[in-house]
Amino acid sequence: MSDIASRVKKIIVDKLGVDEAEVTNEASFTNDLGADSLDTVELIMEFEKEFNISIPDEQAETITTVGQAVSYLEEHAK
Amino acid sequence: MAYNLLKGKKGIIFGALDDKSIAWKTAEQCYQEGAELVLTNAPVALRMGEINKLAEACGNAPVIGADVTSMDDLKALLEKSMEHFGGKIDFILHSVGMGLNVRKGKEYTDLNYDWNHKTFDISSMSLHRILKTAWDLDALNEHASVIALTYIAAQRVFPDYSEMADAKALLESITRTFGYYYGVKKKVRINTISQSPTKTTAGSGVKGFDNFVSYAEKMSPLGNAPAEACADYISVMFSDLTKYVTMQNLFHDGGFSFTGVTAEVLESMGNN
Repeated sequence: MSDIASRVKKIIVDKLGVDEAEVTNEASFTNDLGADSLDTVELIMEFEKEFNISIPDEQAETITTVGQAVSYLEEHAK
Repeated sequence: MAYNLLKGKKGIIFGALDDKSIAWKTAEQCYQEGAELVLTNAPVALRMGEINKLAEACGNAPVIGADVTSMDDLKALLEKSMEHFGGKIDFILHSVGMGLNVRKGKEYTDLNYDWNHKTFDISSMSLHRILKTAWDLDALNEHASVIALTYIAAQRVFPDYSEMADAKALLESITRTFGYYYGVKKKVRINTISQSPTKTTAGSGVKGFDNFVSYAEKMSPLGNAPAEACADYISVMFSDLTKYVTMQNLFHDGGFSFTGVTAEVLESMGNN
């Protein structure tokens, strides 16, 4: 697992209070990990803080699974 | 309709998420009544909502993010607001609440206490934190008015309101206790307004909310009080017309709180 992937997964585990084993690439924040709309916005803001980037709302809306978050951040993180 | 009730007054509005929010409508109403405003909300709520639209409609009011559980954020908020106003503050609306267990679907009889603690910190202690910050900075003018929004579940049981009922009970108690101290110190008045169930983004988080709104409508001689009417009432409470009202829980609910039963509710029970 890349460094970025493990940091992303740690944020998700902390924020959503889920088991690490549940945080698979395919897992959807809302359907599988019990996130509500507020959680998903909070997650995006946590990613921004952790990786020191800003994710525009249009892009943020397309990040709905763990895998999508990891690949977006691998591409954009500084 | 506007009456210039708040001409020259300066206030902070907490908690305007979107145009369904009571805080949103209150900001619009206060602005029309002649007040100058600062708008604030949690950083995540600023991102989710459309507060910049409201800021524009309220004479380009500054929007300052603040986490109500952070004393540093609250201090910065009050300092920046006083700097913007060039003086002290005349009114504050606390329209802040978050039930973590409610959000996560945890039943009242099986609360997660870490979440519960956060619920109280965000929904109730935040009022104490705001008042203490204002107290330390001497940020409020004499006769300033502070209103926090509450719900009757603080006093009678509405099971689905869950831990928020306890949070609102604490909020109402802080209103009285701090109301005493701030009244003696600076004639500041602190009250809660207990509003009819209102279809806001926060309200919709309560289970079975739509049915409950219809029930309350039938149980209120005047019908449910709309959010716009609540905004009207709040602006009167911020005005100089209510200088001696303090430490009260004020029902703004069309008569719901003192109604035992109505003909409409009885009829809906059928002919059993």
